[in-house]
Amino acid sequence: MKVSVNERGMVSRISDSAMRATYQAGNWMKLGLFGIRNGPVATLADLKKYPWMRNIFQSGKLLHTMTGTRTGPYAKANAIVISDIVTSILDMIRDMKKNPDTLVLHEDLVPPEILYGMGLTPWMTEFLGLALPLVNNTSMEPYIDAAENDGIPPDICSLVKSTIGLVLRNELPKPRAIVSSNMPCDGGMSSYTLIEKQLGVPIFRLDIPFDFYNERAITYFVGELKRMIAWLEETTPGRMDWDRMREVCEERNRFVELEVELWDLVRQKPAPMAGEPIYLSHLIYGICNPGRQRGTRMMERVIECAKELQKKGAGAIPNEKYRVVLWNPPTVVFPDLFVWAEQAYGVSMVMDMLTYNRHPFIDTSSPDSMLRGMAQVIMQGPMARHTRGPAENFFGDLFNLYEQFDLDMIWMAGHIGCKNTQALNGMLREKCRERNIPLLIIDYDLSDTRVVSPDDIRRQIEQFMETVMKAERLDGKGAGND
Amino acid sequence: MNRPLEQDIRELLDVSVNRLVEEAQASGAKAIGYTCSYVPEPLIGVAGLVPVRLRAPGVAGTPLADTYLSSVICPYTRSLLEFALDGKLNPLDGWVHAGSCDHLRRFYDNLEYLVKPDFNHIIDLPHKSGAEALQWFVDELKQLALGLERHFGVEVGDQQLSDAINTHNQCVDLLTSIGELRKSNAPPITGTEFHTLVTASSVSPKKGMIKRIEKIKATLAGSQDIPKHRARLMLAGSQLDDPGYIGVIESMGGLVVADRLCFGTISGLDRIELNGDPITALARHYLTKASCPRMMENFRDRVKTLITTAKEYRVDGVVVQVMKFCDCWGVEANPLVKALRDAGFPVLRVEREYSLTGEEQLKTRIQAFLESIGK
Repeated sequence: MKVSVNERGMVSRISDSAMRATYQAGNWMKLGLFGIRNGPVATLADLKKYPWMRNIFQSGKLLHTMTGTRTGPYAKANAIVISDIVTSILDMIRDMKKNPDTLVLHEDLVPPEILYGMGLTPWMTEFLGLALPLVNNTSMEPYIDAAENDGIPPDICSLVKSTIGLVLRNELPKPRAIVSSNMPCDGGMSSYTLIEKQLGVPIFRLDIPFDFYNERAITYFVGELKRMIAWLEETTPGRMDWDRMREVCEERNRFVELEVELWDLVRQKPAPMAGEPIYLSHLIYGICNPGRQRGTRMMERVIECAKELQKKGAGAIPNEKYRVVLWNPPTVVFPDLFVWAEQAYGVSMVMDMLTYNRHPFIDTSSPDSMLRGMAQVIMQGPMARHTRGPAENFFGDLFNLYEQFDLDMIWMAGHIGCKNTQALNGMLREKCRERNIPLLIIDYDLSDTRVVSPDDIRRQIEQFMETVMKAERLDGKGAGND
Repeated sequence: MNRPLEQDIRELLDVSVNRLVEEAQASGAKAIGYTCSYVPEPLIGVAGLVPVRLRAPGVAGTPLADTYLSSVICPYTRSLLEFALDGKLNPLDGWVHAGSCDHLRRFYDNLEYLVKPDFNHIIDLPHKSGAEALQWFVDELKQLALGLERHFGVEVGDQQLSDAINTHNQCVDLLTSIGELRKSNAPPITGTEFHTLVTASSVSPKKGMIKRIEKIKATLAGSQDIPKHRARLMLAGSQLDDPGYIGVIESMGGLVVADRLCFGTISGLDRIELNGDPITALARHYLTKASCPRMMENFRDRVKTLITTAKEYRVDGVVVQVMKFCDCWGVEANPLVKALRDAGFPVLRVEREYSLTGEEQLKTRIQAFLESIGK
């Protein structure tokens, strides 16, 4: 029996709807089970103590945003990633409540592998500021206001202000200890003086050299990690178990291996995967929660989706016209940016700054080799490598990946509070001009839609696409008529 | 009034590279510009070199620098880049930076890209001051010394460094002896005058300044005709190299008797203890004394120093001035102000630009502050 195009389309739509409904039901089930296991009274008390938790119940909205107009394996990959975000957040809350004695707050660029190795319970201090705007893009504004009302200057990065606001409003769990560093920026580093004082818990700060691509810097930083472990052993019940550390590092290596495979896939034209399955998967399991088996499984499933498309010679988006990198922190206050850009102009986001780092594999043959690997992972981690060291680190990565992924343009997410990268925009413009690379610097604020709204971001992109790229609208809408 | 500061000292602050530096250059010395308190000044002040702490006096706007650094970067660095692009810093023979903060690091990057100085060195400065960080910093200073020797053909050995440290100490001892006169009930020198003297000493060859400071000190003995004041204040904050700012505060009756400024008493006027290897002595001094909020672990020490100083100088209140867009001070000022208030000191926190603007607003704030503390 022959199946017509219309019938195939209908089958595909039904299949996509069924997939969405399945994942939606799965997410609700996770939330329901969390409520049951936690106990209804305790859950209500948690919601009162941590009002930001209410945003998690809006995860259905995020699933709808990311999959509502996407189809096939690409939509499924998005649903997989969002499902894992829900699981990760609920697990973090569960662990935080279950293990208050081993809870350690860690700065976003101090990855938690070592804490896992020590049997501690990590909580990334900045996690909420990064994750919650994805489901509710105004969720951080009360915290930003709290920080500014307490005297933090408005020009400080809004992620830093969000975190300070959470601390000032007593909405972060009180940990046993804090580990932070001098990354990624002065605002973030300085905020820990206030966080330490406000929470009244001991803190260890890692010092990462300015220029770290040399043996001397690695040796210095390995020493810092050893001092951190010794300090944590003195300050918390955590004890380093090198076998457990090895398992974490090996799991991390497996995830990285898969991620590199995904990179190879997306180098193809059209890219069989794009957007959030690339950057959110790295955000959750490359940065926030690395070394977890669940992360490896998630990446395997994303790759399966990409391979399914690759076999058909299809792209993640049906009509890939342009390939772009989003450089700098992602526009989490406009989570559907690429859902829109894909449909409006056929823009496929194949790489971003948080995801693109060199992923050194950790040599797990000895404690020293693991620490050395971890030192490189941290120093060469996202943003750390770009906001430390000379400007060559920033430009080198960007222009390498431009070639590596055969891109058509660069979108620089010009977060107004990121002074480190704002101070490179002049050089960036000239270097792109020399290389004949179309560049859009998007004015926006990482966590505050009152500075630049999603509509304003969209307008900036429309102007660029239509005047610089001479792009045609694929969705039949004109600029400003979305 | 017959005030002790001579016009020629004030004139040293009118330009970035003043006539004393030019005279030294004419006699064969090389002028090294530097931008931060963490650059060990004696290391770039050995025989044959003249350290010049960089300022951008009279900067009237930063349109060129804004194109590269953006308008959300600290106005001090933007002003310096503007001057560099305008050619006003061309007389310098070299630059030494410290990787102190995001703004100064990116200033270094942009200077390297836009101006390409023949000698442009950045010191990789730790954010901690323990034994390992000290060793790191010692190695950094050795690399700088080697770079200076190779590029400028000067000798940066133990003897040369010891001589430079002794000259530095001689100068700070003199300045300290004058600064301490401000502890008295009727200080013979205003905060504006003292800051002029300290700033001039940072931008001019030390040996030439020592003679001038000695002369000024001698004239201070019988000089007690400073303007009447309503309150004794301490001024704390970051880069402030325009004594006119203090002049505005003092014009409202707030006599600045103590300060913690990048061009100032704490910690600019601390002696360098010369025990053993001079490079290590320098590293230890600069890593532990010049306490800026960019050092991650020293908040309590900074607060303690300010409180001790405020008590020693019997101040009635503290003005915390934060330069706009400075992240380190912008964030730290929050717990700092609370700590000073907890210690019983009234505090006024003000934000400011690099150049002296908004004088009337500042006057109003100072006036209101003085009234609020009953002065």
